Amino acid sequence: MKKVRKPDVAIVGAGPAGLAAALSAKEAGLRDVMLIERDIELGGILPQCIHDGFGSIIFKETLTGPDYAQRYINRVGKTNIDVKLNTLVLDLKPNKTMTAVNSTDGIFDVEPKSVILAMGSRERTRHQILIPGFRPAGVITAGAAQRYINIEGLMPGKEFVILGSGDIGLIMARRVTLEGGHVTGVFEVAGEPGGLTRNVVQCLHDYDIPLHLSHTVTFIHGRKRVQGVNVARVDENMKPLKETEKFIECDTLMLSVGLIPENELSKKAGIELDPVTGGPIVDERMETSVDGIFACGNVVSIYDLVDYVSRSAEAAGVGAFEYVNGKKRSGRAIKVVPGNNVKFTVPQVVRSLERPVSLYFRVEEPRLKVVASVSVNGEEVARKKERKVRPPEMVKIDLKPERLSAAGEEMKEIQLEVAPSEK
Amino acid sequence: MKNKHQYVCINCPLSCSLELLEEKGEVAEVQGAECKIGKKYAEEEFKNPRRMVTTTVLIEGGELPLLPVRSKSSIPKALVGEAVKALADVVVKAPVKSGDIIYPNIVDTGVDIVASRDLPKASS
Amino acid sequence: MKSKARNPMEKLPKKVDLVIVGAGVTGCAIAREATRYTKNVVVLEKECDVADGTSKANNAEVHSGIGEKFGTLKQKLNVRGNQLYDQFVEGLNIDFKRHGLLMVVTPRTLPEDMTHNMPEPVKKFIFSKIIPLLIISNGKLKGIPGLKIVKREEVFRREPNVTKEAIVGIHDPSYGLVCPYKLTIALAEHAVINGAKVFLNTPVTGVRVENGMVKGVETNRGFIETEIVVNAAGVFADEIAEMAGVGGFEIHPRKGATLLFDREATQEYVSGSVSEVRLFRKVKSKGGGAMPTLEGNLQLGPTAIEVEDKLDTSISAGEIAEIFERFYYLFPNFPRKEVISAFSGVRAPTYEEDFVIGASDATHGFVNVAGIQSPGLASAPAISEMVIGILHDLGIPLKERDNFNPVRQRPKLFAEATREEQEKMVKSNPRHGHVVCRCEQVTEADVVNAIHGIIPATTTDGVKRRTRAGMGRCQGGFCGNRVSKILAAELGISPTEVTKDGESSPLFVGSAKELLKG
Repeated sequence: MKKVRKPDVAIVGAGPAGLAAALSAKEAGLRDVMLIERDIELGGILPQCIHDGFGSIIFKETLTGPDYAQRYINRVGKTNIDVKLNTLVLDLKPNKTMTAVNSTDGIFDVEPKSVILAMGSRERTRHQILIPGFRPAGVITAGAAQRYINIEGLMPGKEFVILGSGDIGLIMARRVTLEGGHVTGVFEVAGEPGGLTRNVVQCLHDYDIPLHLSHTVTFIHGRKRVQGVNVARVDENMKPLKETEKFIECDTLMLSVGLIPENELSKKAGIELDPVTGGPIVDERMETSVDGIFACGNVVSIYDLVDYVSRSAEAAGVGAFEYVNGKKRSGRAIKVVPGNNVKFTVPQVVRSLERPVSLYFRVEEPRLKVVASVSVNGEEVARKKERKVRPPEMVKIDLKPERLSAAGEEMKEIQLEVAPSEK
Repeated sequence: MKNKHQYVCINCPLSCSLELLEEKGEVAEVQGAECKIGKKYAEEEFKNPRRMVTTTVLIEGGELPLLPVRSKSSIPKALVGEAVKALADVVVKAPVKSGDIIYPNIVDTGVDIVASRDLPKASS
Repeated sequence: MKSKARNPMEKLPKKVDLVIVGAGVTGCAIAREATRYTKNVVVLEKECDVADGTSKANNAEVHSGIGEKFGTLKQKLNVRGNQLYDQFVEGLNIDFKRHGLLMVVTPRTLPEDMTHNMPEPVKKFIFSKIIPLLIISNGKLKGIPGLKIVKREEVFRREPNVTKEAIVGIHDPSYGLVCPYKLTIALAEHAVINGAKVFLNTPVTGVRVENGMVKGVETNRGFIETEIVVNAAGVFADEIAEMAGVGGFEIHPRKGATLLFDREATQEYVSGSVSEVRLFRKVKSKGGGAMPTLEGNLQLGPTAIEVEDKLDTSISAGEIAEIFERFYYLFPNFPRKEVISAFSGVRAPTYEEDFVIGASDATHGFVNVAGIQSPGLASAPAISEMVIGILHDLGIPLKERDNFNPVRQRPKLFAEATREEQEKMVKSNPRHGHVVCRCEQVTEADVVNAIHGIIPATTTDGVKRRTRAGMGRCQGGFCGNRVSKILAAELGISPTEVTKDGESSPLFVGSAKELLKG
């Protein structure tokens, strides 16, 4: 019989979240940290994000994705963290027992004292948004295209139409242009771009790539390979307007229509998910509804900045350390209730009033000059002014423990709302 | 008569919308900047816009077929395309360390192109 | 046992007893049955894989025949085919499950114009008593066993999410599920094991007829001599018949679109196949329903739209809306956002809406097996039985071969194996330890096995149909590049030569920096 490994913590996924969680758990004091990654190397999606713009918050400088990953990978290399590459976790039980497989160890069980889920996200596909038409080669998600172009060295197309203005789509518009491809246009069904402003500027404006807001792809032509697409303007209910439909010739339709947290393992473990984020409901130390199972990064909710992913992972790493060392969480969970113009918050619940809590949230509607206000029992405990809020950009607001505990023990919920600033 | 130029600051996630007023080729005023960096950015975008170059070069004998590279600092925006084209002809040999100079003085900008990650030799 | 079909330069045999045109489920079923009597069988397929036309895009249902018009050939072969199914799949090593069908009578069962003048008690009596009795007696007449009335409460017990408007149900236990392309691949491989040859990428360009007798078949890779040609060319059967100077029918394509949903999200929602009874409607289709696949993904569909183009496998916005409209009624609050795929197939009906099976009078040795639309999958065992009878009349030996191998083996997929089996699989082949498709847990070894199968997978779609890699919720986002790489390595081609579905469907336009270098 093989000996079953019983590490202090097993981390599933070694992208930005998993790397930071492993280091944080290690540095907090956990001895036996196991980091499980299905790919051939560490870094997750970062190695294919060769553009710069990462790390401005954590490193106070802007790095490329591979650079950002390299800094963590170098640190991991200096520790005795047990890295398992080419290894897929097949199953996770509520008692934290997991089953994994790779070519050298075969199928093996792990019985960790704690678990950190850091599986990241997957891309929404053409079928999830039900684009009518044929099913030819040449319909590709932006992240998959990024992998082909930046890692595998394969060009998936030459003449592109891009649907969706998510960050990866914008980044890839520039990338394929630089690699000798051509982008006819980026079409976005919403009235606002889906990605960060700086990407709209540096990836589209710089290269004269038109962005067509309130437009969508209505048909994919080509039985074997994409021959073109129909695009049309949409009305306020996002229904295509037939009379505006026109044909655009292209050999590739690239999709950047959203990311979905990857929670198949979370479901197997019986973890409660938030229907809005699609990820586990977590508290301030990123612990899920199942004791001792933590989650961080995009598996929890889609973050706009990798720095925030790393921060959430650091919290999870410390949380796992506390859990393993007997610091169980309090039974009381105070719900953070999204109020006016707040789509969701992470964490969704707060348990401890003894430590600072960073509340990340997204707004529902873009607004200028607003105040985000956190209140308990009608009394404001934190407040942050923002010149501009947009749904694609996360907002962070810090709660001070003294203000929270001052609000008293009978606190039932924490309210967060975004309102126009007075004056 | 002042000419208006619109920019969006890209230095932080705040993405300030900037308006630069120009008079006879000189910067008269910058509005909308939340910080000094934003004001400076608008002036730069007007006078001498610069961009980082990030792309890949072919690598032989590495674990992967491509090596991501970046410029050590920004280069004139107008030269980015040319820089990427020049780098398309480059083939390096594994192993490479992050920060290794891959192409010095890209398109005579005085800026070096460096490796963006470690890339070890293929194991087999 | 490397396939002969892989080598594009592979020469056709000079002379064979029988050439079958078309490697869909019908052609492959006939080929397999024919190899019980002779090894000299050739199947010609213009696409790069078997089951690459209509057979890959249907709903996997083995109908009982209850929906077919009484007395038609289609109805008879459907009922007989369904009854033969267990025997038909024996030895093929594929799954077949009789899961039954629950037909639900609702206020929409009769068209509004027939019922709006009826007094309420009459209407109630007709809907809850007369219609089920009619369906059952009609089914008995057709020879369908085991039909039972399911009371309203029982309908909800079986399917709690079905519309509260449901009046009564009828259960048909004969309905079965089989994966249409896995079945077709299995039949083709079973035929090859028993001596047949399957040539892919081999379109038929002519049928040589001399003095009213079939003499052979012209293809892109040369001539093959034969005295018997079976025309199982699906939507192109009329064109093949034309080549042999045989007319008399015309295939007019009719498209059927289906939406496929995430397994985990919909498994609890619908437990078996459910359809709504709609009578006296003008649409020429059995009406479709909500059907699980063998793997448990729910399907809604299919539609039935007449199209001009035999290759029109697109799905329109109108069809998507129609599917949702129809099945929202049957299943209100259906989790529509869990859709993971949409596909469309082209049925091959004649204007007579019946199968056209028989030896031609005009051209001796030419056998049509045409007009095979739904329920072609269910009828396949009976169609091949009938065709074998015709082949005997045309001179194929009557005596079964002693050395016919009744079993088609195939390597087990990792995801199908038990934990203990999986452990052994990884130990004996470490490539089973490398999972390339996380959604469906497909390993590198699974993909390699598919590529080196008897009927080999040479495209990403081919790999997908054999292993399910790319069929899950991420639809190939994760595994696409891994599968392409394995295909390139195993086929000895450049990754830029890998295709999705054969010629003209390249996945890449070139390798890195090629576009920049001009």
